[in-house]
Amino acid sequence: MSRLLLALCVGAHLTLGGPAVLTAQDGNYDENALRLEGHNGDVRIVRGAQGTVLARISGFRTTDVAKLVAPSEQAMAEARIFSHDYIPGSWIAGLGIATLGAAIGASRIDDINRAIPAGLTISAAALLIYGGGRLQNAYNALARSIWWYNRDLTK
Amino acid sequence: MTSRVFLALVAGASILSGASTSADAQTAGENTRAVPAAGTSNVPNVPEPVTAPTDSARSYDARALRFESSLGNVRIIRGADGQLVGTGGWFRDTELEKLVATSPNALAQARLYEKNNFRGSLVGTVGAVTSVVGLVLTTNSSNSAASPALIIGGVGAVVWGVQHVNMSYSALSRALWWYNRDLPR
Repeated sequence: MSRLLLALCVGAHLTLGGPAVLTAQDGNYDENALRLEGHNGDVRIVRGAQGTVLARISGFRTTDVAKLVAPSEQAMAEARIFSHDYIPGSWIAGLGIATLGAAIGASRIDDINRAIPAGLTISAAALLIYGGGRLQNAYNALARSIWWYNRDLTK
Repeated sequence: MTSRVFLALVAGASILSGASTSADAQTAGENTRAVPAAGTSNVPNVPEPVTAPTDSARSYDARALRFESSLGNVRIIRGADGQLVGTGGWFRDTELEKLVATSPNALAQARLYEKNNFRGSLVGTVGAVTSVVGLVLTTNSSNSAASPALIIGGVGAVVWGVQHVNMSYSALSRALWWYNRDLPR
């Protein structure tokens, strides 16, 4: 009879291993979930409640976000969109700022054809809008990537 | 005797797994799908185990928030379907506090977001206007000493404002992180 009782207890113990997983999920999110934070002009990818900085994105520098979010397929797909848009967006927006500077400089030259500063200003505006749009797409893709990564942590 | 012990083991396991399956069924809804598990498909007379996305993943899919930006505006989006639940931006309130009210940590960060966003927007705008006035005065060959002061003061205010808007976005990110963390599982 005691053997039967023991066997019942062992069976119950083996089956009740499940609830421990929930605790592990909580710890998993607290320690591993990512978020974005801005700091002095750069964007940082930060992990966990402690806020460990994993990567910095600023200017023309970025990091391999796909590697950071590697276990999650959808996060990796969004990270690739980020990588695809961020560097071209930065360069195009940078070129737009330089063109704007050239337009301001040209406008201060007295005997210059007025079409030149006007053309430079229009080009600068176009570059800034296009580059800014690419950067915005990149950051939104990064936000989605992190959302999917955190979502897959909770599984 | 051995067979009795084995029977008792199976009975204990099946009673408890039955209880756990019915608990899952309360929350599984219609998304439950059968997936053949590796290693069990060749075993005769063993029903294929039903595995479903966990409650935490379902809750996250349906309720977790994120934000995206568009031309200086913030859009707060819920769930995998991308439902828009709030918009905000310069001087516009996202009502973030209401959205994340269930999580105390998220609520604290939401307050920080709204405070910094308002201050940054206000000071940045005043700074931009001051800079433009200073530039216009300089362009009109004004010899007033106020022009450079206006430009420098304006640029300083813009930098301060942008920094605070930046800080507000960090607080927004943390607010949503805490909210998603505290979603019921």
